[in-house]
Order: sequence, then C-alpha cells, then structure tokens
Amino acid sequence: MEFTLLFAVAIAFVAGSIALRWEAARGNAVDCASDLQEVLLTAAIAGIFVGRLVSMVASGVNPLTNLADILIVRGGVATGPATVAALLTIAFVARGEIIAVADALAVASLASLGGWHLGCLARDACLGTASDLPWAMTQSGSSVGRHPIELYAAAILLMAAAALALRRKRPLPPGVAAATALGLASAVRLATEPLRPSLGGGPVWWYLTGLLGAIGALLVIWRRATATTGGTRVDT
Amino acid sequence: MRLRIAATAMLLTAVAACGGSTTDTSDIADLPPASTAELTVSIQAAGLPAVVNVWASWCGPCRSEAPLLATAASQFEGSINFIGLNTRDSQPNAKGFIAEFLADAPITHLFDRDGDVVIDFGGTSGVPLTFFVDGEGAVSTVHFGVIDERTLALAIDELLQTAG
Repeated sequence: MEFTLLFAVAIAFVAGSIALRWEAARGNAVDCASDLQEVLLTAAIAGIFVGRLVSMVASGVNPLTNLADILIVRGGVATGPATVAALLTIAFVARGEIIAVADALAVASLASLGGWHLGCLARDACLGTASDLPWAMTQSGSSVGRHPIELYAAAILLMAAAALALRRKRPLPPGVAAATALGLASAVRLATEPLRPSLGGGPVWWYLTGLLGAIGALLVIWRRATATTGGTRVDT
Repeated sequence: MRLRIAATAMLLTAVAACGGSTTDTSDIADLPPASTAELTVSIQAAGLPAVVNVWASWCGPCRSEAPLLATAASQFEGSINFIGLNTRDSQPNAKGFIAEFLADAPITHLFDRDGDVVIDFGGTSGVPLTFFVDGEGAVSTVHFGVIDERTLALAIDELLQTAG
C-alpha cells in the first residue's frame, strides 16, 4: 500500500542517523542533553501528522469523520505547516536548550531531506518537467525526456549537509548552523520547484518564507556578534 | 486533568457525530451504466486524453484522493477529460460520495457495477486505480492505489506532451 513511501522514509531516517553519528563522533553535539535521534524522529512524525491534517482540512475532508484517512499520507501532506509543526516540536521537546539542539540537528536535517529526495528511486518518482538535456531521463514506456529533479535536490542537499558539517569543524555562533540549514533547505526547494510538475505551482510561498526567515535569523545573529565584539566579527 | 481529557474526548465525539450526518443527494442523477466500448468511443469522439479514476464509496483511500482529482479536473478542464468509474457499489452510496467529495468537480461519473470495464481496461479488482488514456482511447499508464499530487501531475503532463 504505502510501502514505497515507507522505504523513502527509511532512507531519510538512515541518512539522518548517519549524519548524527558522524556529528557526534566529531564532538559537534556535546552541549546537548537531549537524545537527538529521538528529537528528530518525534519532530518528523509530528510534522507529517500536522501536515496531513492540514492537507485534509484544506481539501474539504473532515479528519474526525475520516480518521483512518489520516494514515494515507499519499493523499497529501501540506509541506509548510508540516515544517512549522516539526520546528515547534523541536522547540517544545528541547525547551531549555533549543538553539543548541537545533544547531546539533542542522546537518542531520539536511541529510534526512536529501535521503527523502533520494527515496524517489524507491518510489519511481524522480522525474520532473520535460527536458532535452543529455542527462534527461524517461519514464518506462515514454519517449519524453525529463529532469531527474528529485536527484538534483538530493545531491544538492547531501552536499550542503557535508559542507555544513565540515564548516562546523570551526566553532560557529549559536544558531548559525540551524538557520543556515533552514535557509539551504528552503532555497533548494524553491530553486527546484519550477522543475516539478504540480497542480497549482507548489507551496513556493512557504519555501520563500523559510529562506527569508533564515536570512533574517542570520542577520540578527551577525548583528549581535558584531555588537558584542565592538564591530569586528569573530567566530566564538 | 482527567476531567479535561474527558471533556476533550466528548467534544471530539460530538464533532465527529455532527460531521457524520447524511449528505443530500437530491441534485445528483443516477450514474449511467458503463460499457468498455462506449467509454472508448466517447474518449475517441472527444479527441482529448482522459484520466479514468476507478473508485467506490466504501474505499477509504478513494476518499483521500478525491479532492486531488477534483482540483486536477478543474485545472485541466477543456484539455483533459476526467472520468470517474464507480465500481462494486450501489447508486445511493455512489451519489452520497459524489455529493460529499466531488460535487462541483467537472468529472463524468459512470457506474460499473461488476467491475467489467475496469478489467477490460487492464485493471484489477482493487481500488482506487487510475488509467491515463490517450486521445485515441489507448491506455498509456495505469496507476494502482492512491495517487499523489506529483504522480498525477507528472502523468497528466506526460499525456499532454504526447498529445501536443
């Protein structure tokens, strides 16, 4: 029934777990008392649940009278509300050390998203809009070449995760890793969305909001850092 | 705390009970019976690609994909024909489903009581499933199970690219 989706979720989970272990081995999560694996999993489940509920309500289906339909995630998950719910869950579960936990989850979140997009291979859902480029791929039984858009997104997100992990070798001000991850994830979705066939253009406003929010957060952090160092920015 | 939980449970039950009221189907005509030959000829006569969705009122997953199909049918009205093939169902239940989930959607619904048309088109007894048919009446793709937005959008784009 939903096994291909579950397989994609499993790939995302494995990618996130590997990133968390890698980060832990390099001492990037030493400030956190929370179990990061648990926080990430709880946030993902809460996000999917809320996203599914919002999607049902938005399309006129009453979740209370159609309780079992909540489990049919293929019926649609509202990406923006799902992301907000996941972030709020992290804030709630890790209250008291929100920024430290968010920073510690930054690389794993990007890796998980990359894994989710890579899961298109299991779902046979990698292709986007038509393309004549040499690397365009075709669906079975079709002659129309298409962008392997989900593979683009997966590659960029996994490279971004690796780049952020490497950058974290040197200390960053609190919040920078989390805001950068949010900005990168939003930017990748925003940039790749036009190459995805969709009904109604996709939730680009949510991605734009995420990107602008991340830029805003980085600016605030930068201003605070420069204010506390008398105008000279340093990595603390 | 227990009082709060009990109150919440009662509220949820009350809302659920309210939501379960019978839908008015007086505006919806009986679904015409479907035959493979007539369906193929009608698709060929229209000269447009078609999305034929097989559904039943007792099928939970069909409910979950109905809003998506309604959106797509409205968006591609005039370039793609959307046809609903109700199978192994009763007229009253089918009309109730249409009234609740597909009332305003530009979808032509047909009644395939025993599922013969579905089998002739290359489907199975499981629902939901969706056939993507070119303008000449040939099935180009079959999607088994609930269809998601990306898959539907891609299959529609494939039909339009091939037709254009």
